[in-house]
Amino acid sequence: MAPSRGPQPLARSLHTTLSNHRGPVHVARYAKGTAKYILTGGQDRTVRLWNPTIGTEIKVYASHGYEVLSISVAHDNSKFASSGGDRSVFLWDVTTGVTIKRFSGHMGRVNAVDFNADASVLASGSYDATVRLWDLRSQSHVPIQILEEAKDAVQTIHVGPTSIITGSVDGHVRTYDLRKGQLRADYIGQPVTAVVPTADYTTYLATTLDSTIRLMDAGTGKMLQSFKADGYEVKNYRCRAVFGSEEATVVAGDEGGRVWAWDLLDGQVLRPNPPPRVHEKVIGWTEHHPTDPGEMVTASADGTVKVWRHPGKS
Amino acid sequence: MHTSKLKRKLNDLGVNASSSKATENFCLIGTPLPPLEKRDAGEFVPLWKQEVRDEKGRRRLHGAFTGGFSAGYFNSVGSKEGWAPSTFVSSRSDRAKQKQARPEDFMDDEDLREIRESRKLVDENEEMDLVGGTQAELKRRAGAGEVEKDSIAFKLEEALLPPPKDSVGAKILKKMGWRPGQGVGPRLTWRQRKMQEIQFAGGDPSTLNEEDEAEEAKKHMYPPRDTPLVLPPRKEDTHGLGYVAGMKLGDIVSGQEDGGRQGPQISAGFGLGALNDAEDEDMDIYDTEMRSGRARTAYDILDADDEPTSRYPRPAEGVTASTAAESRQSFRDGTLVLPGFVIVDEPLIEDRWYPIPDVPKGWKPDPRRVWQKNKENREKEQQVQELPKPATHQQWKAGITPGQRGNLLGETPIKAAPRSVFEYMSQKDRERLQNISSNLSTPPEAPKVQSQEPPPPPSSTPRVEPWIAKAALQGFQPFTNDPVKQSRYTTFLKAQAEPDAPLPQLTPLPSQQPDVFRKELEDYAKAAVVFKPLSAAMAGRFTSAAVVEMGPQVNEGLHTPAFEPEKEEADEGKGKEEPEDESPKAHAARMGMYGLMTREVTAWMPARLLCKRFGVKEPIPEPVEGEAGPPPAAAGAGTNVNKWTPEAALAEASGFTPTGAEGSNAGASTTAAGYTSLNENQSQGTGGVKSLDHVGLGEDETQGADILTYERPSMDVFKAIFASDDEDSDDEEMKDEEDEKMDVDMSSPLAVKQEESTPGHLVEAASTTNYKPTVAGVKEDIDLATFKPTFVPRSESKKAKAKDKERKEKKKKTKTLVSFETEEDGGYDVPLPPRGKDKDKERAKKKRKDKKDDAGEDNDSMWVEKPAPEVVKALDTSSAYLVEDPADTATGGEVGPPRGRKRAVDFM
Repeated sequence: MAPSRGPQPLARSLHTTLSNHRGPVHVARYAKGTAKYILTGGQDRTVRLWNPTIGTEIKVYASHGYEVLSISVAHDNSKFASSGGDRSVFLWDVTTGVTIKRFSGHMGRVNAVDFNADASVLASGSYDATVRLWDLRSQSHVPIQILEEAKDAVQTIHVGPTSIITGSVDGHVRTYDLRKGQLRADYIGQPVTAVVPTADYTTYLATTLDSTIRLMDAGTGKMLQSFKADGYEVKNYRCRAVFGSEEATVVAGDEGGRVWAWDLLDGQVLRPNPPPRVHEKVIGWTEHHPTDPGEMVTASADGTVKVWRHPGKS
Repeated sequence: MHTSKLKRKLNDLGVNASSSKATENFCLIGTPLPPLEKRDAGEFVPLWKQEVRDEKGRRRLHGAFTGGFSAGYFNSVGSKEGWAPSTFVSSRSDRAKQKQARPEDFMDDEDLREIRESRKLVDENEEMDLVGGTQAELKRRAGAGEVEKDSIAFKLEEALLPPPKDSVGAKILKKMGWRPGQGVGPRLTWRQRKMQEIQFAGGDPSTLNEEDEAEEAKKHMYPPRDTPLVLPPRKEDTHGLGYVAGMKLGDIVSGQEDGGRQGPQISAGFGLGALNDAEDEDMDIYDTEMRSGRARTAYDILDADDEPTSRYPRPAEGVTASTAAESRQSFRDGTLVLPGFVIVDEPLIEDRWYPIPDVPKGWKPDPRRVWQKNKENREKEQQVQELPKPATHQQWKAGITPGQRGNLLGETPIKAAPRSVFEYMSQKDRERLQNISSNLSTPPEAPKVQSQEPPPPPSSTPRVEPWIAKAALQGFQPFTNDPVKQSRYTTFLKAQAEPDAPLPQLTPLPSQQPDVFRKELEDYAKAAVVFKPLSAAMAGRFTSAAVVEMGPQVNEGLHTPAFEPEKEEADEGKGKEEPEDESPKAHAARMGMYGLMTREVTAWMPARLLCKRFGVKEPIPEPVEGEAGPPPAAAGAGTNVNKWTPEAALAEASGFTPTGAEGSNAGASTTAAGYTSLNENQSQGTGGVKSLDHVGLGEDETQGADILTYERPSMDVFKAIFASDDEDSDDEEMKDEEDEKMDVDMSSPLAVKQEESTPGHLVEAASTTNYKPTVAGVKEDIDLATFKPTFVPRSESKKAKAKDKERKEKKKKTKTLVSFETEEDGGYDVPLPPRGKDKDKERAKKKRKDKKDDAGEDNDSMWVEKPAPEVVKALDTSSAYLVEDPADTATGGEVGPPRGRKRAVDFM
């Protein structure tokens, strides 16, 4: 894409709606690799596997006793981890649909889980303000390490190749650098609900509860850009903001059910401003397709998951 | 023995031992000898003749040759039939017999006899058996299936034989004439016995009729009847002791009123229970005077079919003698009572019936009125009771507080300001407070008094000090989850904070009762005091919690995911005061100045396993400076402490290898194989990290190497030393000449070669070291790199000299000038096969391997290669020149001896 033409427009035409969930859908994740499938988890205590192209539900994973708040897919798509209100992290086998392991130890609901690159470590962040790192190689049910630096609930975790990035309600984004052996805590000032780093880990996108998305420099902790809009309201709910295709845009849903898009560089709201209301309720999770620039998925509290594509695409 | 001897003697004498004469006993006192024909048991038998026999006369002990101890059948194992191995016999079928092995089964006759003997005294070890029901007896009976007795025999035996054991008491009784089945006591006549029978049967002995008695029977005395066993009936009801079913209160009362003439005299005895048939006979069972001869027991057997007792004393069932006598009662007027009826002593009490009151017309039931009335009554009662009511323990303990007393007395409670307020107030505040209070037209009155008035004037509300109110306004808001209440609280506080200002006073809600309103105000006042922030000095040290109450929040509509509801509240609650006490970090974040201010970098140690899983090298928390750079030269030199030489130290300090130095000025230096090896050792030592700490320790590989490989320096060294010494002291001129020579030498091809092979710095270093002014009076061109003042002690050198002499001779060298000969040696002699032996070669190779630097190569070239001939050539020329100088030889050769020190020339 030529730089003169600006970032690619957001996929805004509804491709399909996945509406088997009863109750709010909290999380929707693409599979790894070519990402042909979507895993969603919701208030109805199930994790569902979808084929977004044809819009069918493939499998239901129902073992959770409480709502599912977070899902992470392993690198080889053979396993995924989910967590939620039942204070434990479930490790699932995708094909058989049974839990391989259940890690319990958190004192509160587990808000976020993430695998590391080769799915040998699973990190989980909880309402009890701790991050626990579980070893998947051994049979041990004791975490490798517990990160207790957060003062409040840990809302989001991203595990990079050499670092673990967490966002907490205490307003900090903490980067645990394994190579340097240091912890960099960036104070955002508002409860951080989502942190999404860029692919090169030099910057990260922090969603906070003050209707602002900030692009922070991971190296210095400086704010590179902040994304706001007149109608963009995120004050109460986790509304995860992500990068658009090729990290040229920032995409986020808000509490009104709109999907906003900003230009990463100048921080301007992209064309439909304000964007149309596409969900009845708050959009809790937005995820852009990892490879396909023209696909995106949003999960909302109205119980639907919507897959968006460019109009030209089938 | 004696008897047999005696017999034999008698036989010899011809006396017949068996005759009666021979056996005639004349013994009057003492024990007579045993008769001759009988064997004397006590006769002495020699040990080998002694025999042991059992009671059956069988020999039990044999000699060793005859089988030793015999235990079997004639010294054999087994039986008469021979020994047979026992076959397995299954006990399965015999199990039904329940045979129990007894000790007797394993006893032989002796044991059985012993047991029998021991059983003779029964009382010693067997318990007495009264009824034959003890355990042993029962067991005996149960174990009736004894094998030897079949059941019939046992039964017969049991029937025929009396029970084997009696108790002592039974035995005594038996001896006194008692038989089983009889009663105990003196014998009775027939009549007495009959009466007893009737008694036992429960009848009256007086009813005995004696007509049909047999005459014969009366003539005898009979044992009394056996006392029947008392069988107390089981108590199966749940009545208490002494309760009689069916008996009414009236009966008892009437009985008491009658004073004992009728009914049981309950008071007369204790232990009168339900088992007593109290109204059976009207008599006191414990009274001593008995109206009947019948012996009464306390526990008479209740008739099972005893019908419920009637209300009135019923007539006796069995007609007693007394009642039989006065069979009829008469009424007061003299008429007889019908038979079967009894006159009641007490008149019948009739229940009183009151007439139902007339219901007035138009009356409607209104129970509420009654309840109200009752309640009032109760309240009154309570009030009455309250005052004299004893205080609870706690009240009593604490005593009555003045407040309570005041309440009791109806005083108006004094509203005392909290003590802490005055303590914490400044003087200024206090003055202001006084002013305000003096300004107030109406002093605060007790809310209790005012509470009756429906609209309470604002002055009657509980007051809060203005400064407290102000502080509380800024401080924690306790009613955040109730907006209405919170707003009222704020209004109240505002009004209180500035009493003079025309602010809206808090008014009761439309539907609020006055006392409720007052209560609310009091609550607010309390809350204000409680939640007011501390004074400014203290306040800085505390942060107020965000939210205390987390009341259930009801959200309308469908439940939506709530991730941070509490955060929102916290934001709202803190919003006001946050800017004041925020940290610089927070301030920076608020201002959007992210970066250094908002970033905190701390050390964090990932777990080892985590690093492993991530494939990351474990971070080193504090990068420690490695031991970079070469070890200090002194330490390196110190490795060969005993061989420490200044030139080595110098060479090392300048990064210069001694061999290089030697190579560089081969013409001048005295090169010896031993010395070079020594230097090489040193360089090796410096090559590896070697410090003084390692010296002499086990891990020091090079330890002792220098000693082992040390070869005594060649003659040249000594020559060089001593010769130069001589020359120095002897002849200055010659030295000068030589200097010139040396200069020439230095410019010789060797010097050129040195420049090629050694690095520049080495050359420089070599030059610096080479041309130092001679310190120790060494005049020759011996540089410091090779000169060793301490190297060879004098005594050693002498010996060395002696040996050198021999070597010199071997070398077959023509005598030359001392100095030049040394140069010859130094130049080429070392690498040459005759001098440097195989060992040397090997060592050299080793060293070559070890040494990787240029100096090493230089060394090699110097050792084995071409320069040598050149040098030789050069030396040859010089030596030739020198040889031609006779003066030199003369001086060099002959000045030495007078000094008392041998010169090198002397060795040639």
